[in-house]
Order: sequence, then structure tokens, then C-alpha cells
Amino acid sequence: MFHSEESPRRAFLRSCAAAAAGLIASGPLSRAEQLLAATGPEDPEVPNEEVARILKRISGGRPIRRGHVSLDMPLVAEDGRVVPVIIETDLPMTAEDYVKAIHLIVDHNPDAHLAAFHLTPALGRVSISTRIKMKRTTWVRAILETSSGQVWAGYSRVLVTLNGCG
Amino acid sequence: MMAHNLGEARIRVPDRIQRGDLILVHSIISHPMDTGFFRDAEGDPIPAYFIKLVVVTYGGSEVARFEWTSGISRDPVVTFTLKADKEGLLTMVWTDNKGAAFRQSVNIGFASV
Repeated sequence: MFHSEESPRRAFLRSCAAAAAGLIASGPLSRAEQLLAATGPEDPEVPNEEVARILKRISGGRPIRRGHVSLDMPLVAEDGRVVPVIIETDLPMTAEDYVKAIHLIVDHNPDAHLAAFHLTPALGRVSISTRIKMKRTTWVRAILETSSGQVWAGYSRVLVTLNGCG
Repeated sequence: MMAHNLGEARIRVPDRIQRGDLILVHSIISHPMDTGFFRDAEGDPIPAYFIKLVVVTYGGSEVARFEWTSGISRDPVVTFTLKADKEGLLTMVWTDNKGAAFRQSVNIGFASV
């Protein structure tokens, strides 16, 4: 049932590579990048101050690493009023270590921080699906916070042909 | 779908559940989820009107809490997993930005083998 685009090991290697690249990369950063120096170079660009603020509030300065999150969305959404979303993870849901929150962010929506799902180990695992509105073609971010303080992200770019936000 | 009965909600769980099963809980509630960005036929703005909080309790304990905006589609659906480790009521309470609360429950009972 869990559809991961990449294995946890691969995701881990990728996040290591991203972290290393981040250390090597230098040069002037834009204001949004400064706010969000925590994300890796392969991650979708932070498009504006609002999204930078949201990511900063969620991460609290911790690195946002790519991996462990499967954000399943259509490549093309023909009706932006109803776009299906499925969020899953292979991270544990035990009393000692669990996913305590998942944040859904749609970069170019009027209200970018679309939803927050606060969870407990009683759910047994993470598989959440719902339907959302999208104004236009953009990146969607699922940012996951664990009880031990790790922050993981999955991204999905959705082409929107009919504006669902007015 | 269900658009004429504001706040009418349904929760669906599997017919046969055994202790320890990981089950899927499907839910839907009728609500317009107006964003506040649209106008009506007379050109007047339609004010924002949406479910902003969903609280899920199982056997009296809170197991999940969803904070929503009007970016969730009309007649919101949400599906999530639950570890069925006790018999009891699974209750969801949806609260909108005008303060109305809508409640629905389903009994989680174990099938005798």
C-alpha cells in the first residue's frame, strides 16, 4: 500500500548529498534563501517570503530533509477545485517515535499553508488522503515532523488547467 | 453531493474488524468551504465559510486533530488509518469558522471469529 518513489536508503543518501552540496555552495543568497538556508539545492525553490515564513515556522531552524514522505498527486489537475492528495510515510508510528504532524503547503495558493494534520501513535501508520483546491500550476509540499524532532519533506509539482480558487 | 444538508456527515469503517487490525477510516461532511474570493450572481462577495478544525477521538482519547483552511475542497473528505486495538466509539467533530460544530460517531466493535 505504501508507494514510495525511492527507498529510505536512497532518500537518505540523497539527503546526505544535498547536505554536502549545501555546505560547499556559497555566494550571495536571496532574502528567501537566507530565510530558508535549511533546504537542499535539489528541493523546489522557495517562491516568496510567505512560503519562506511558513517553512521557517514549521522547521524552527531544523533542516528540512527530502525523503520518507510520499506525496501522491496527479501530474495534471484538470479541475483546480478538486485535486486529490495522498500522503504516506515509512516512518514508525510507535509510542517512542512517531509522526506528530504533517503540513500541506501549496506554494502559489492565496492561503499557502493549506492544512496541518496532527497525529498520534494510535493511528498505527500514516496514510492520509483528502481533496484540495489549487489556484495554478505550482509545487506542493508535504512537511512531516516527528516526535524526535526530525523534519522530512516530499514534493509534487501539479499542472493546473482550471483555477480552483477564484 | 450532499450540498443541501449543511453539516451532514458520514464515517465509514470496514464491516468486519478484528483486534489489532489497521483499518482505513473514510469520512465526508457537507460544507460549502467558501474561500471568500468569489462573488454571487448579484456581484456581492461571498464571505469565507469553511471547516477549520476536525478532532478525532477513539474510546474517549483524542487520536488526531486536523487544522484546515478554505483550501480543502467543498464537501470535505478525509481518509486516515487507525489501529483498532479496543472496542469503542470513533467520533469526529468538525468545527467551522462561524463556530458551528458537527459531530458524527461510528462504533468500532470486533467480529467474533
